[in-house]
Amino acid sequence: MSCSITNVDRPIILIPAYNEQATIDAVIRQARASWQIPIVAIDDCSTDATARIARAAGATVLPLRIQLGAWGAIQTGLRYALRHGYRTAITLDADGQHDPQDIGRLLQPLTSHQADVTIGAFPERASCARRLAWNYFRRLTGLALEDITSGFRAYNHAAMIVLATPEASLLDYQDVGVLLILRRHGLRIVETPVSMRLRAIGASRVFRSWWVVGKYMLQTSLLCLARIGHGALAPVDDSTG
Amino acid sequence: MITYQITSMAIGVSLAVTILFLVRRDHLHGPYALWWIGVAVTVAFLSLFPRLFDVVAIKLGISYPPILAVIMGFSMLLVKLLTMDLERSRQERLIRRLAQRLALLEAQAPEMPVLDKATPPENSSGKVNE
Repeated sequence: MSCSITNVDRPIILIPAYNEQATIDAVIRQARASWQIPIVAIDDCSTDATARIARAAGATVLPLRIQLGAWGAIQTGLRYALRHGYRTAITLDADGQHDPQDIGRLLQPLTSHQADVTIGAFPERASCARRLAWNYFRRLTGLALEDITSGFRAYNHAAMIVLATPEASLLDYQDVGVLLILRRHGLRIVETPVSMRLRAIGASRVFRSWWVVGKYMLQTSLLCLARIGHGALAPVDDSTG
Repeated sequence: MITYQITSMAIGVSLAVTILFLVRRDHLHGPYALWWIGVAVTVAFLSLFPRLFDVVAIKLGISYPPILAVIMGFSMLLVKLLTMDLERSRQERLIRRLAQRLALLEAQAPEMPVLDKATPPENSSGKVNE
């Protein structure tokens, strides 16, 4: 089934990928089969055939020569999208845990102008430790969101502009830091429940080992604390292309 | 017998000479060279008048004057370390933006002869090979 989205403002799908040769082909083909939207895969310095497979599957590939991490890759995609005149960006993990069929649900709050950013949330997938971490960050930031680390998101043009700036270039993950920047610019974030498949191969890039988790928790806590009282900025002017 | 003054002067002057040598050889970039020249001049100057610390320390209520020199040196080192990390963060941001821009350009011109997998990619620490 192929659904075209007519009322969405120039959408594009961004898929950050690092060594995802086992899954990237299926992800791109499923997304292409479901939606007639350009697909961009950002190859985060993979050492396997990810880039070649993504290109063969019909995606435009942005080859990063230095590994920038998941967020750095997504920002590359956002910069590409803005440069080429796209006005809505959907981000999708390359490991196949997000179902491209759900993109429609993700875009709905944007098309009805209820929100500037939609997060595809599936809190049930979380382990106990992950839920504890989310709960902690919710309290620390005051963000009323369930699934703050979900990589399945849709951004409108105003959000894309904010997130493509150098201000967001030193972030390492597409999570709390990104959400705090969005909030600071007065952009509205909502969550939409989506279905999520089990991660077939590979592990989360954030929740990989206790050492990485510890580093992540400390770094993100510091980011949250540093942002306390960080004044809100004027809303983004989206009128200029 | 070598006096304290000669020892400190020797340190100050040799530091100054080393820094000048590095600047001449183009190993130290402008603003950093300026900081280190400043350090060399300060050390050389203070080593000429080591009694200066005794006077100032007593006025500041410090009973053991040499510790003033140690504290001042330590504080300046901390300031220097902090500014170094500030500079590193600025450079990290620039490198990331440049890597992103390069990816956009390479995607635009796929027929361009790009580095193949035989060339080892830059490592993840953000260091760029020369």
